[in-house]
Amino acid sequence: MKRLQGLPTFQELVSLAVRIITSRTFLEIVVFPGLLNILLSAALLTWLERKVIARVQLRIGPLYAGMWGILQPIADGVKLMFKEMIFPELADAKLLMLCALSLMLIAAAPVVAIPFGDGLVIANMDIGLIYVFAVISLFPSVILLIGWGSNSKFSFLGGLRSLFQQVSYEIPMWLSVLGIVMLTGTLNLSQIVKAQQNVWFALPQVLGFVVFFTAVLAELERIPFDLPEAETELVMGWMTELSGVAFMLGFLAMYTKLYLMSALITTLFLGGWLGPFTVPQPVWFVLKTFVVASIIVIIRGSFPRVRVDLLLKAGWTRLLLLALANIFVTVVLILLGLDWVWRV
Amino acid sequence: MEPLSSYLIVSSALLGIGIYGLVSKRNAIRLLFSVELIVNAANINFVAFARYSNPPILSGWDIVFYSVAAAAMEATVGLALILVAFRLNGTIDVRRLNRLRG
Amino acid sequence: MPDIAFLALSGLVIASAIFALEAKELIYGAVGLAFSLIGVAGLFVLLGAEYLAMFQVAVYVGAVVVLILFTIMLVQRESGRIVEEEEPGRLGRAGVLVAGLVALAVAGAVIILAPVSPEAPESYRVPLRELGVSLASSYAVALVILGLLIGATVLGGLTLAKIDREEKPSGTAQ
Repeated sequence: MKRLQGLPTFQELVSLAVRIITSRTFLEIVVFPGLLNILLSAALLTWLERKVIARVQLRIGPLYAGMWGILQPIADGVKLMFKEMIFPELADAKLLMLCALSLMLIAAAPVVAIPFGDGLVIANMDIGLIYVFAVISLFPSVILLIGWGSNSKFSFLGGLRSLFQQVSYEIPMWLSVLGIVMLTGTLNLSQIVKAQQNVWFALPQVLGFVVFFTAVLAELERIPFDLPEAETELVMGWMTELSGVAFMLGFLAMYTKLYLMSALITTLFLGGWLGPFTVPQPVWFVLKTFVVASIIVIIRGSFPRVRVDLLLKAGWTRLLLLALANIFVTVVLILLGLDWVWRV
Repeated sequence: MEPLSSYLIVSSALLGIGIYGLVSKRNAIRLLFSVELIVNAANINFVAFARYSNPPILSGWDIVFYSVAAAAMEATVGLALILVAFRLNGTIDVRRLNRLRG
Repeated sequence: MPDIAFLALSGLVIASAIFALEAKELIYGAVGLAFSLIGVAGLFVLLGAEYLAMFQVAVYVGAVVVLILFTIMLVQRESGRIVEEEEPGRLGRAGVLVAGLVALAVAGAVIILAPVSPEAPESYRVPLRELGVSLASSYAVALVILGLLIGATVLGGLTLAKIDREEKPSGTAQ
């Protein structure tokens, strides 16, 4: 083949492409723990939620699509992709689609920093924890834009409530992991996992664990903090006017966020990929993540909804105080000289 | 490795855009945008100089830390003021908000 | 590769900044500002200040942009649409002239007075521990003052934005 001046030949391009595809980074990004993992886990979580909620409510849940209804998420996805995207005339369709897409991006982006095994992390950042929290803090603005851009009172109210709720619970979320950072002296998520070799952080940081778990429930807009999406009051909250592919993106983003938060809880408090060597590390991690997700789903079926003003008050006052108490306990631990347990 | 001047050109371009916004826009919120752009231009300057010094100056990053926080504070108060001005005058057009009374 | 990243990020910053000011709708302007700030955070990452970049994203894009969006929605809701009639006449052109001159002067001064770029250590990353130590020890007073400033801001914002509902029945505008 004639070589154009300075441009690579076709053979060189093909060999470069093959090298990239079989490189470890590409496999990590696309297959595990990257794209395919996120999409499959989010889909699996929709199925898990429907099944677990059904059992809690003495029903059975999806049954007909494949064995145990496991193909139900695929059926839902195909149906949503073929549905027509209907937007109200005065709603800003471009803005809504852009925001639905960015919801999915924002939900999937922090997964690159979460370690699925020793060294099995897409981006081993020294500021991994801050990166995850910074990206999570982008959610409220996108949700507000969707709520406002839908040009509907239900959506706007839902968007506002979601904004208030998520912003209020961000601060207890940030503060509750401060104890972990003080004990390990690093923001690197892999180091934090390795530091839990002796004792998981759920034990010395019980208060922090409780606060973080509650804040995560509020960030996910899950019962008992369900008011932005109160199904009997606001239709679907800020997602009311989304349909078709946009709805699929938003819906999938919610479950990706659930996966992300469960993975975060596992990494920070439950030892991440640590476990007996009989089972490979990623399996341990995914197992723990799904256990946490199942607990979150069971909580959905077991608690009533919290009123919105009590919700905000709880986030700003009581959770904040508990988080500060957790920092106090951590300081006491450090002063007692016990932090060698968690130094890598 | 970019030369230092590239970053300074970017920050002066941002400064120019911010000044243009401050001079020629009527909407109070766009003025706030412009102020934020100018502050960000200054932050880029700080970080670039702190990085390209030999040895790197640590106070450069401390200052930017402070600057980001203080700019967030200033945006908060500015927005509250805009809300109050809107409630009192019905407009946020700064060419009409030119009376000291009322 | 850093050249492409730098060009892309600078392009994002400047293009979004121009869009933020020139967009017809304020909301689009706020979104453009958000993109511009994210671009600036990217430039911070290129300059090795990763923690600062995350701080910028979390504070600016996560909080300030939300506030701006929220205010725009409140201001627009109470009186229908605010139609911005920009006069592309005198003041717009004068603005471009002034801004262009200032930017040119600054950039020119930079390039003329400092022709040689100082040698910087390759791929330097801000040592997070030293940043924290310096913030807590050398700049401890500034940190405390920042905390007080935040408290004052929250109180001030709440007081300013509070609606006095008991004055409505009296009928007189304030």
